[in-house]
Amino acid sequence: MYNWKTWFSDWTFFADGFLRTLYISMLGLAFTLVIGIVVGILLCGKNRVVLAVCRGYMSFFQNTPLVIQIFIYYNVLPKLGIYLDIVTIGVMGLALYTGAYAADIVHSAIKAVPTGQMEAASSQGFGYVQAMWHIILPQAVKIGLPPMTNQAVNLIKNSSVLAVIAGGELMYRADTWSGDNLIYGPTFVMTGVLYLVICLPISLLARWMEKRSVRHV
Amino acid sequence: MKKLFCLALALTLAMAFCMTAMAEETDGVAAIQAAGVLKVGVKADVEGFGYQDLDGTYSGLEIDLAHEMAAIILGDADAVEFTAVTAKTRGPLLDTGELDMVIATFTIKADRIVQYDFSKPYFVDAVGLMVLKDSGYTCLADLDGKTIGVAQSATTKDALQAAADEQGITLEFSEFPTYPDIKAALSSKRIDCFSVDKAILMSYLDDTTEILPDSFAAQPYGIAVKKGNTALLDLVNETIATMREDGTLDELVEANNLVAVDWAVVDSYDYLWEDAAALEAAAE
Repeated sequence: MYNWKTWFSDWTFFADGFLRTLYISMLGLAFTLVIGIVVGILLCGKNRVVLAVCRGYMSFFQNTPLVIQIFIYYNVLPKLGIYLDIVTIGVMGLALYTGAYAADIVHSAIKAVPTGQMEAASSQGFGYVQAMWHIILPQAVKIGLPPMTNQAVNLIKNSSVLAVIAGGELMYRADTWSGDNLIYGPTFVMTGVLYLVICLPISLLARWMEKRSVRHV
Repeated sequence: MKKLFCLALALTLAMAFCMTAMAEETDGVAAIQAAGVLKVGVKADVEGFGYQDLDGTYSGLEIDLAHEMAAIILGDADAVEFTAVTAKTRGPLLDTGELDMVIATFTIKADRIVQYDFSKPYFVDAVGLMVLKDSGYTCLADLDGKTIGVAQSATTKDALQAAADEQGITLEFSEFPTYPDIKAALSSKRIDCFSVDKAILMSYLDDTTEILPDSFAAQPYGIAVKKGNTALLDLVNETIATMREDGTLDELVEANNLVAVDWAVVDSYDYLWEDAAALEAAAE
């Protein structure tokens, strides 16, 4: 009981971390979507150089641990004269990492729209961009949204790696506070609950959208 | 039928788990003797205290202490199994029973005594400040408004904050999981100062860094055992007392190139146990 009491007496410390996690995650998510959509659409093109660049970006960021990427932004970039603050590193690091997966989702969602749709659009006098915007993308969004929300949940959970560079977010606060007070049980149970509070609604939303899209197709 | 079988299996497992948990509640010393090996958590990255060479061998004052404990408990100084711990892992590893004791530059504090049983101190060290040579900082006052890198679960932050309050300056803190992380952050100028106990700082000193003359809040190190393991704690305390009296502890300190311990200072920390008892009483 002593341990739980002590935890609750310091709740504002965790509330700050919670808000910071939320802030970094939401900004990261916005950039993830931008990267995902741009790279995903470029992947549908035919320019070899563009394809190679996109593939290279995705291969690198999907196949190296996020914690190493973050560590490089934090400790190696300053030696090259590039000094980014923690929030920027968090947002950029998470967006570049998750964006590599989001691009895959956008790409396959577009591919999943039957080719007949594009042909039909062209026969009606739509240009490539117009057909993409009015015909293909609205259908692709429906297909791609559920897996995209899964990536959003991953991004939020992954924000916890910022703890290794003193990120000030929820996981860092849990590590620091539990170390200072040597109270581990309540700290990590409650930290888990706080992550759950952010992630569970998104997961439920994803499930609901999935059901809905099945009904409408 | 299948469901019933699963339920029976789950119950058996749960019972087996409870029974092993209960078996652990017996006398801590007897349990170690039954196991035939003393499991000790030590630092692997602090020269002079607990340091692991590239070939895997440990050396330092705390390693010597562990061997001494094994000789007393098991009659064999080599019956020790070392596990490298950090400030963050040493507590939980004691709780789970993974380790019998932790000898890892563990500073004795009243609120820590509430969570673990601590021996009397075997060493006292002060908090120091390491800065980059080209930064031009010469004392704590120069670091007004700057960021100090400290280790998670270390007492450094409290000690520096107290000193800062006294001098009327403000400090920012960034906390990292390991000492090399802090050193890396200092080299990349993420932080302006690396602060931890002086003996630990010494092992991170290189051409680009220097240690400032300032010293803060002497920190007494103690051996920690699981809360309530009184038999083991008594034995550890007896051993430390004997080693102090016959001078072996002083010899070991000197052999590991550490600064000689002022035992009068060590004994002035007895109030910590009284503070801890008061804390526990207040929480009741």
